[in-house]
Amino acid sequence: MIDPLPPKPVPRRQRLRRGRDRLATALITAGGIGVVVAVMAIGVFLALEVVPLFLAEDPQVSWRGLWLPQPIEGHELPQHRWQPDTLTAEESPRYGMAPLVWGTLKAAFWALLFAVPLALGAAVHSATFMSRRLRTRLKPTLELMEALPGVVIGFVAGLVLAPWVERHLAGAFSLVAVLPLGMLLAGLLWSRLPASLAQRLPPGWAGLWLMPWLALLVILSLWLSPWLEARVFGGDLRGWLEAALGLDYASRNALIVGLAMGFAVIPGIYALAEDALSGVPPSLGEGAQALGATRWQTLWKVVLPAAGPGIFSAVMIGAGRAVGETMIVLMASGNTALMTLSPLEGMRSMAASIAIELPEAAPGGTHYRLLFLAALLLFVFTFLVNTLAELVRMRLRHRYRRLGRGA
Amino acid sequence: MSRRLPRARGEGPWPWLAAGSVALSLLMLGGLLALLAVRGLGHFWPAAVEQVALADGRLLAGQPVREERRFDGEGRERLYRTDNRDLDGGIWTWVAVEAIERVETPRELLVLERRRWGSFVGWLVAMEGVDGRHAGEAAWPALQARLAEIQALRRERDELRDRVVVPLVRRLEQEAGSRAELAEANARIRALQARMGGDTLVLESVDGRRLEQPLEEVLRAWRPNAMSPLDKLAAWGQGVWRFLAEDPRAANSAGGVWPAIFGTVLMVLLMSVVVTPFGVLAGIYLNEVAHQGPLTRMVRIGVRNLAGVPSIVYGVFGLGVFVYGIGGSLDEWFFAEALPSPTFGTGGLLWASLTLALLTLPVVIVATEEGLARVPDHQREGALALGATRMEMLTRVVLPMTMPAMLTGLILAVARAAGEVAPLMLVGVAKLAPQVPVDGDFPFLHLERKFMHLGYHIYDVAFHGGDVQAALPLVYATALLLVLVILVLNLTAIFLRHHLRARHGALPRH
Repeated sequence: MIDPLPPKPVPRRQRLRRGRDRLATALITAGGIGVVVAVMAIGVFLALEVVPLFLAEDPQVSWRGLWLPQPIEGHELPQHRWQPDTLTAEESPRYGMAPLVWGTLKAAFWALLFAVPLALGAAVHSATFMSRRLRTRLKPTLELMEALPGVVIGFVAGLVLAPWVERHLAGAFSLVAVLPLGMLLAGLLWSRLPASLAQRLPPGWAGLWLMPWLALLVILSLWLSPWLEARVFGGDLRGWLEAALGLDYASRNALIVGLAMGFAVIPGIYALAEDALSGVPPSLGEGAQALGATRWQTLWKVVLPAAGPGIFSAVMIGAGRAVGETMIVLMASGNTALMTLSPLEGMRSMAASIAIELPEAAPGGTHYRLLFLAALLLFVFTFLVNTLAELVRMRLRHRYRRLGRGA
Repeated sequence: MSRRLPRARGEGPWPWLAAGSVALSLLMLGGLLALLAVRGLGHFWPAAVEQVALADGRLLAGQPVREERRFDGEGRERLYRTDNRDLDGGIWTWVAVEAIERVETPRELLVLERRRWGSFVGWLVAMEGVDGRHAGEAAWPALQARLAEIQALRRERDELRDRVVVPLVRRLEQEAGSRAELAEANARIRALQARMGGDTLVLESVDGRRLEQPLEEVLRAWRPNAMSPLDKLAAWGQGVWRFLAEDPRAANSAGGVWPAIFGTVLMVLLMSVVVTPFGVLAGIYLNEVAHQGPLTRMVRIGVRNLAGVPSIVYGVFGLGVFVYGIGGSLDEWFFAEALPSPTFGTGGLLWASLTLALLTLPVVIVATEEGLARVPDHQREGALALGATRMEMLTRVVLPMTMPAMLTGLILAVARAAGEVAPLMLVGVAKLAPQVPVDGDFPFLHLERKFMHLGYHIYDVAFHGGDVQAALPLVYATALLLVLVILVLNLTAIFLRHHLRARHGALPRH
């Protein structure tokens, strides 16, 4: 910050200018503080709306009642239930938040399970092996992927992917095994290639030339899967799942949500992880390579430990996004408030509940305030996670600077 | 790169998994975009209509949609869109592939797009027009000529209604206007209406059932199998144009998306008007005016983190504060005579724009701050050394250099806002807004009205429509439109940022 020169005796015009400057500074300060305070007020407002819920001594709502299973007629054991709407007047609505929290975490878990390996793999590849030219093109491309609206991804997942997977269950499951094996097979084949051909397919561009290969594998495995299904599962994998493992298959299930939401969070995780990896001072990696380590050994033993906190913060930010994503879960999950472990059944997340139920809830009522509580939980969770990630990243940046100087 | 890279032997299997995940991510992205492009654009192509003869002697006509393996694993079946809802009760027919005896594409097969009952597929037997009966070969040219006439009349009537009748009625509502004028305009509309009617088409479905169709109800007629590729291309272009320019019909499952485009653009414009000054102001304050201590650093982290707070939370905030809080109070103070029906106390354009402005505020603040941090300190020092006040230094030297960064931030904010749907569901989007928020009525821009939005249109048609299968092509087209808008905005932002980096070099680290 540079302050203006100390004042001297000045003519009138000068005074006018200085006065205008003071006025403008005051305005900017007021406006800036106002905006910052307004933005920060979100959390405070949500909390204020939730407080009356616990002051009013509402018999329907207690802190324990929200989270612990409640006795329900017709069931021996107490149950978790989220039933804000009742069919008859005698029935009282049930407000157990546990199924919603469970649904949120379950969706986020499957999304991360899908996204983290892919995003970190991509980050590792582009920070270590990828040619510089391809990397400068890849980053904006994945940025575009992040910009795809959730409603479009949710529509494709819920109305196109879900029915398709339901019809081609065996094919879809076989891809989980075929694709990684196909990548490894590509590596094996590549190392056997004659040198002239291998130079045409440089490893730095593998991200591109593997695409047709993987597409071919996808088509092949989809083409072969009916035969496999007939041989191994008696022609009906869905029936087999139900008979042998006792798993119900819902068309819109946690796997579909995980796939769709994973797709949405890959770019975010990738960008931060790639930043962390490529920010590691090059002297570290160069030292390891000079001592004879391969690039992968360098990465695994030197670069990854150095960038570990950054990668952790990338995953945290991905988790924050997955927990709060609304439209994808709303459109691809079936929205039934179940508490099951099975990845083949649907769930209802907090964000989706808010989107569906809040417009109909009476302002100031119990249901309304509970949905505000859900929003507050989402806010606090994502805020904490993001702050943690940001702090970790700041410390990491500091460490890189020290390491870079030390070498 | 002429340098020969050493071959990466002995790296083990892991690098290949890493490379594969890049390829897989790109493949998924490409697949999604290709799916949207092919299905979204293909919807407008006048596809051939097949006449299918089945082994049991039945005949049907329709567009083949897709082929699936049967659930019991025995053979395959094909889905035809056979339309003719008034004759068959439905528009889809599944046919076992083995049962198909032959497939033909007769040139005379006619497709009609109608106002009621959806489309018709079949033969044109005759047209009983106001000028006599045209049968056989003469019927098709007569139909085309008359249809063009009716279209012109319809356009004239709509114009008359919008330009003359609606303003008159509105004036009459407020004070006593000229009733005679209105009666005269209505009479002209009735006369136009009468000139449109009177013709009947005699149609026959391929399995021989007759149908009499008033021509008034027909919107368009074409014979896809007789069209040359050039004709089809022209029809495709017209289809795209109608999709962009027309109002939705049949509970949003047909017609165009013009009100949704309009609503989205208007909402985003209002949002930018709000978010730009405040975002820039906060950015300038944090970077140029505030004392750079631990408190400012914490505020900066907080603002950054707000970009990661789920959009639905902003929607909840907007509903609680803007709609029920401020809107409710405004209603009590200024619109008390309209209560209990709310004016501002319900979701509307203004509240939606404000909510999204709040949502995108962190994006603009962060972009502005990055732009300011990129301006070298010696520029500021130079300005001050020449005697400029801080204000002059900011407006003449620093802000012009930051302009591209702020623009980038604004474009990113607009791209984010255009794709956001969840908060809008709480603060003012409507599945069908009868009144556009802008019209000739004072004060011209109606901030309290609900509006339509492309993203919500996708959600609504796909999940709350009747026949999802029939509306699916339209949803694809809408999704493609939304994605295109957002991609173009983002590409602009990326280009601007690239340009910026090239000019000012990399961002110095804090």
